[in-house]
Amino acid sequence: MTATTAGAFHEGSSRAAARGDLPRLLPPVREGKRPQNLDAHLARHGGLPYRDRTGMPGNPSALVRDLEEAGLTGRGGAAFPVHRKLMAVLEAAGQRGRPPAVIANGAESEPASDKDATLLWLAPHLVLDGLQLAAEAVGADTAILVTHADRGRDVAGRLRQALQERLAARLDRVPVQLAAAPARFLAGQETALVNQLGGGPAIPTFMPPRITERGLAANPTLVQNVETLAQLALIARRGPRWFREVGTASEPGSMLATLRRADGLPRIVEIPLGTPLRDLLGDAPAGPESAVLLGGYHGRWLPAARAATLTLDNRSLEPAGARVGAGIVISLPADRCGLVETARAVRYLALESAGQCGPCLNGLPRIAAAFAELASGRPRRGTREDLERWSGLVTGRGACHHPDGTARFVRSALRTFANEVRRHERGQCSAASTAPFLPVPDGAARSEDDWM
Amino acid sequence: MTAFWYASRATGVVALLLLTAVMVLGMLVNRQGRLPGLPRFAVTGLHRNLSLLAVIFVAIHVLTSVADGYVNIPVFSAVVPFMSPYERLWLGLGAVSFDLAIAVIVTSLLRRHLSRRAWRVVHLLSYLCWPIAWVHSFFASGDLQHGVLLILAIGCAIAVGVGLVWRLAAAAGDVPRAERVGLIMAAVHDRTPRGRATANDADAPGDARHPRDRTSTR
Repeated sequence: MTATTAGAFHEGSSRAAARGDLPRLLPPVREGKRPQNLDAHLARHGGLPYRDRTGMPGNPSALVRDLEEAGLTGRGGAAFPVHRKLMAVLEAAGQRGRPPAVIANGAESEPASDKDATLLWLAPHLVLDGLQLAAEAVGADTAILVTHADRGRDVAGRLRQALQERLAARLDRVPVQLAAAPARFLAGQETALVNQLGGGPAIPTFMPPRITERGLAANPTLVQNVETLAQLALIARRGPRWFREVGTASEPGSMLATLRRADGLPRIVEIPLGTPLRDLLGDAPAGPESAVLLGGYHGRWLPAARAATLTLDNRSLEPAGARVGAGIVISLPADRCGLVETARAVRYLALESAGQCGPCLNGLPRIAAAFAELASGRPRRGTREDLERWSGLVTGRGACHHPDGTARFVRSALRTFANEVRRHERGQCSAASTAPFLPVPDGAARSEDDWM
Repeated sequence: MTAFWYASRATGVVALLLLTAVMVLGMLVNRQGRLPGLPRFAVTGLHRNLSLLAVIFVAIHVLTSVADGYVNIPVFSAVVPFMSPYERLWLGLGAVSFDLAIAVIVTSLLRRHLSRRAWRVVHLLSYLCWPIAWVHSFFASGDLQHGVLLILAIGCAIAVGVGLVWRLAAAAGDVPRAERVGLIMAAVHDRTPRGRATANDADAPGDARHPRDRTSTR
C-alpha cells in the first residue's frame, strides 16, 4: 500500500474487510484476554503438523519452502527472511556435522514493547508449536525459550504450566528449556542472548562468526523472535497462501504491535502489515508539535502529520527513514515536551551500553549529557551541533547496533522537534507537563551480576 | 661467501629492533594507547605492519645463515630446535622463537576464522617469543656483547621491560566492564554547565512541575 492510497483511507471505512480473519495469533476477541490452555489451543488451531523429515541443505523440508513462499520475516525488529535463516543453520549443521540449537527469543528487552510478553501470556502453545516445528526443520536437539526476567506478569510460570500440559499430551519431540534474560536493553540482541545462555554476561559479541554457524556451545544456532515462531506454526498448518491473505504483497501477513497513546499504557493489537498509521494513532489532534515514535528507542520520531500519511510497512516507512521494527507505535501527548522525553530515553540508552566498544562507551554518555542540556531549557550554543556531530561519530562503530540505533533516535528527535529546540534555546518550553511519559526503567547495571 | 654472513648478522639485529618495536606497540594497542600525532587505528596498523616486516627480516636472517657455508647450519634446524651442530643451544632458542613467531603471525592472519579466545591465547605467546629471541640474539654471536650493539640490546630489553610493567599496572587499574558506563556518565554530567543538566530543577521547562517528576540525569 502506498502513502497515497493510505492518505485516501478514511477512518473506519472497510476496516473489518481489510483485517480478514484477524486476530490469528492472539485468542479471538470474544474470548477476552484469557490465556489459552492446550485444549482451547488445539481446538482452535488443530494438532501439530510435524513433517517427520528434517531438511537437507540441498533439499529443505517442505516447511522451509512454505516459509519462503509465505514471505515470513522476523518479527523481532530486523525483518530478516525466516527461510534464509533456517537455510543458513541447515547448511552450517550439514557442513560441520553438529546438531543445531533453536532459541525462541522472548527477551523483549525494549521497554516500550509488550507484544512478546502478551503473546506468551495469551497463546503460549502457538509459540511452543513454532519452536518444535523449527527444531524439526533444522534437526535441532536443543530448544530454549527465553523470557524477560521481570515483567509484570508471570510469563515464565504460565510457560511452565503450558509445558506440563504438553508433556502430559506427549506433544513435544525436543525438550524445551526455559531461561530468563536480564532486564538489560541489549539482552535480547541475538549474540547477547547466546552469550548469556552460554554462561557469560548478556552482552553482544563480535561477528563473525555468525551464530547461525557458531552459536550456543559453538553449534549452529537459530534464534527467532517468539512472534515469528507463532507465525511459523500457523503457516505450517494453513499454508503460505492463507498467510498472504492479509498484509501487503511485498510484506505479507499480520503482526503484533504495541500502541501507546496519551495514557501511556500499552495496547497490543494484531494488525495486517500495511495498516495506515492514522488508524493506529486514533483521533489524537495532529497539531504542529505532535509527534509519533516508531520502532521504540532505536527507532525514529516523526511529526504526527507525516506519520498519518504512512502505512505500517517498511516500504512505506523507508522514505521517512523509519522502520516497522518490533511494531512499537507511540504517540506523544500534546502536553509533553519531546526533548524532555527523548532526553530520559537517551540517558537510559547510554546507561545500557555494554561498555565494551569505545565509541559507544564514551560517546553515548556525552550524547546523553548534551541532550539533557538541550532538554533542560538553557542549552549552550553549539550543543545541537555537537549532538549531530557525535551522532555521526558513533554510528557503525560498535560490535552491535546500539550506538547506531541511539544516534538515529537522537537525530530524528532533533529534526522532529526542531522548533522546540529553538524554543529551548530561548529558555522556553511548550510543554505543560514534565510528568514522565515514555516507559524508561530506572535501574541501571552496577555490576557484572546485573548482566547475568 | 662472507656477504651471507654479514647479511645474516645485520638482518638479525634489525629483526630484534623490529620485534622490540612490535612488542611495545602491541602493549600499547592492548591498552588502547596512542602515539603522538597518530590516531588509535594507526597504532594498530603500525603494530601489524611492523610485525610483517619483522617476519621478512627474520626470514632473510634465517636463510642467509643457512646459506652461509662458513659454519654448518642445516635447513631444518631453523624450525626444529636444538638440531644445529653449531651453537646448538643458542641457535636452538632462535628456532623456538622463530616457531612461536610463526604461530603468532599465522593465527593473526587467520584471525577472522578463529575464535577470539584461541587467537588471544596464541598471541600471548609473544611474551615468550620475544625474550627467547633476545637471549638468542645476545648469545648466538658475540656481536651484541660489546660496543654500540650492547647498548642497543640493553635498550631493547629495557623498552620491553618498562612496557610490560606499564601494561600490567594499567590492566590492574582497569574498571570492570559493568562499571565503566556509570563512571563516565557521572563524569560527563558533572561537567555540564552549572554542574547539572536536569529537567526537574529550577531551569525545568513547562509550568506544571511536579516534585515526583524524575528526569534527573544522575
